[in-house]
Amino acid sequence: MLTAENLHKKYISHGSETSALVDINLRIEEGEFVCLLGPSGCGKSTLLKIIAGLIPATSGRVAINGKLVSGPGPERAVVFQDYALFPWMTVHDNVEFGLEARNIPVAERREISTRLLKVVGLLDFAERFPHQLSGGMKQRVSIARALAVDPSLLLMDEPFGAVDAQTRQLLQDELLRIWREYRKTVVFVTHSIEEAIYLSDRIVVMTARPGRVKQIVAVPDARPRDMASIDMNQRLRQVRAVLGEEIVRAAALEEADLMAGA
Amino acid sequence: MADVSYSKNVVREPAAAEATATSSQRWLPGRERWLGIATIVAFLVIWEVVYRLGLMPKWAFPSPWKVVLAFQELIANGKLLTNTAASIGRQITGVLLAALVGIPAGLVLGASPTARAAFLPLCRLLYPIPGIAWIPLAILWFGVGFTSTVFVIFFSGIWSIMFNTMTGVQTLSGQYTDVAKVYLASRSLYTRRILIPGSLPYIITGMRLTYGVGWRVIVGAEMISSITGLGFLIDDARWQLRPDIMICGMITIAMIGWVSENWLFDWIEEKTIVRWGMRTT
Repeated sequence: MLTAENLHKKYISHGSETSALVDINLRIEEGEFVCLLGPSGCGKSTLLKIIAGLIPATSGRVAINGKLVSGPGPERAVVFQDYALFPWMTVHDNVEFGLEARNIPVAERREISTRLLKVVGLLDFAERFPHQLSGGMKQRVSIARALAVDPSLLLMDEPFGAVDAQTRQLLQDELLRIWREYRKTVVFVTHSIEEAIYLSDRIVVMTARPGRVKQIVAVPDARPRDMASIDMNQRLRQVRAVLGEEIVRAAALEEADLMAGA
Repeated sequence: MADVSYSKNVVREPAAAEATATSSQRWLPGRERWLGIATIVAFLVIWEVVYRLGLMPKWAFPSPWKVVLAFQELIANGKLLTNTAASIGRQITGVLLAALVGIPAGLVLGASPTARAAFLPLCRLLYPIPGIAWIPLAILWFGVGFTSTVFVIFFSGIWSIMFNTMTGVQTLSGQYTDVAKVYLASRSLYTRRILIPGSLPYIITGMRLTYGVGWRVIVGAEMISSITGLGFLIDDARWQLRPDIMICGMITIAMIGWVSENWLFDWIEEKTIVRWGMRTT
């Protein structure tokens, strides 16, 4: 179980303080699939990075199974938006990186990465280098790398933001299959309402900067979900109504920033 | 104001793109190579003409053919081989020492702002001293021969590899560091598997420059502080009034420099950063 209590994050730049996150309170259960949904610049990626232990919160606390988060931990793995694969390592070596860091013997490492590359359908590409793969394939490798260390909590930062629409659909289904099979808790950052509704058990809708939790929307519908169905359309309208004004507000903020910058 | 300069850029860019497009169409790759060869041939012809017309005193200005004959002589009596081997041995030793010290130093400087604050001022002070200026001190410390030449190569070459490695570390994507943190990589694993390969494009460029600088100072160093090597061969030919031998030495230096700088380092790049899709330029 993941909890965030009274979480605040402020950035100080050029002597002035900017609030990125204000009073975030969250509770995510074991095995849940939760999306953090919000307009660009709302701090959803910042929140994910705080949960990952990559950056500290200004105040408040994050705990996993009651244990306070003060840095990265073995029970968490992160899938980054632009894959963050090492170009100098083969697909095999990339998947095995976390295992290498845990000093797992070479033979066992290879066994685990072979099994996971089979799961994501990339065993034939095991000896390739990342630049020889498509965007969708790279993200599959990145997911396999995260699964290799067998985390209970999978943190995903707009993982399918950089791939084309068809690949995206495929990857979403694959992720749901993996999530069911491996029983992970997933926290998934996205700015796509459709993606959030298709994937999540619950959607945490965030406000434009500074990011607050605006509303938590439960999506109890059974999977696989038919996005063309009437039920899903209703959910879409519901979330769009919640998020709509935030998107407008975020756009206005962005415009103001650009004006100030010019 | 901002609007005006922006529109200027927009106008200029397509024009520049057009210019490069037409020039690349006009110059086919085959033609470029022929132009290069033609210029070298023209150079040799002018050399021969200058010699025939007696524009320079003949005892100081050999014909190209005399240089070929001198090559034959130097190969036959083994002098070319022994002196080349001596120079290459010093060069490799000096460059390897520079890499052995320069790469770790560059990694530390790149990773630690404290180290940069402490050592960069001293480095910047030492860096402009030409390698040749170290020769008299090197002779006082190490005597004439191998060690002093290697010392000079080392001191001239270390800066390129060190500063390039430092830049490579500084420009490495922060995301790789995030991945290392997420998967709890130790400092040694991080250095070995991320920092060094990630900085490799810069490290190879640094080695290329270090190698080039070394090969350029070695001749000067050997002229003053050595009794073997290609530099010595050239300098010694002065006492024998053999300009043809001097030119043999110069050509040998050019050829070895060209082959190693272009072939060796291109090969290393091909096996690493090109294979990894990391070539930036």
